[in-house]
Amino acid sequence: MKTSEIVLFGLAVLMCLAACSRDRCTVVLLPEPDGKTGQLLISNLGGSQLLQEPKQSTSIQSAETAPAAPAVMADQEINNIFGAALSALPSPPIHFMLYFKTGTTELTNQSQNLLVEILPAIADRNSTDVSIVGHTDRVGSREDNYRLALERALLIQKSLLSLGINPQFIEVTSHGEDNPLIITKDEIAERRNRRVEVVVR
Amino acid sequence: MKILAGIITAVCLFAPLPCHAAGTPAGSVKTAHGTAVIIRDMTPVEAKSGTRVFQHDSLKTGPDGSMAIVFRDDTLLSIGPNSEVSINEFLFSPAQGKLSIVTRLIRGTAAYLSGIIGKLSPQSVRFETPVANIGIRGTKFAVQVENPAERP
Repeated sequence: MKTSEIVLFGLAVLMCLAACSRDRCTVVLLPEPDGKTGQLLISNLGGSQLLQEPKQSTSIQSAETAPAAPAVMADQEINNIFGAALSALPSPPIHFMLYFKTGTTELTNQSQNLLVEILPAIADRNSTDVSIVGHTDRVGSREDNYRLALERALLIQKSLLSLGINPQFIEVTSHGEDNPLIITKDEIAERRNRRVEVVVR
Repeated sequence: MKILAGIITAVCLFAPLPCHAAGTPAGSVKTAHGTAVIIRDMTPVEAKSGTRVFQHDSLKTGPDGSMAIVFRDDTLLSIGPNSEVSINEFLFSPAQGKLSIVTRLIRGTAAYLSGIIGKLSPQSVRFETPVANIGIRGTKFAVQVENPAERP
């Protein structure tokens, strides 16, 4: 480092200390839409605190002070502090699962019927962001499965385009065998993993 | 410094995805109200429904603003008024074993519902604040960062 760089670096550190040192933070754990509640581990230089009950919260006074003991936050207070952010939280994306007849790039009859429900769902949610993601099971090599999943996803893209979806909304990707619905050992055939997911956001 | 810059350049040159905005989006804006902008390469871009967001973007709202993002892995993130959050890292390529979502609340309020990266690889999810980091085991939460000295 040159002297000028050291001075600049030092200045940046001082500015950050001046700006950051008074920051305080409050975290509250909330139940998920399905009713389950996960866990949060809040940690800094002073220590850590685990939140695992619905509406448990902790506050952190500085980066060197351990998070306070958890306390349940009243709905009123959650609403006062986080109301605007929470009411802006969108509903989770819809996933359409499309399955193929074994060894073909032909959809099952049931999935063929599902295909036509995708456009109305896009209109319903005012969605401008749709992903078509190909997946396979673990039979065959990872590389082959990546390509196979991509081929199937491209096929669905073609079908949706012919149904009139706006091409600017769509993005096509392949997750190969690495994002299974059902976790299996390698080389296990699993029908539910051989799918194309259309994600409407 | 020069060696570090060299390494970063080399990584960018050989990485399968571009290091900057032109690559795959991290997600998109679902809703934006009031003053809501995306800061990309130090330049503000108006946030509207459908605007794509990328790794390294920051999201910023004014006193009347709020904004919500849907990430590619279904993670949901919204911010209230006078808030700023940065997307420090977002990688969602399970087939390449690349999974990471690191977001940082600089000020204001945020709500968060974790997505598929949290299910496939919980250790790859991190939410940072100036005073503490939050490790997430598949869940929903809300955070506030406030500086009492800046209160109106």
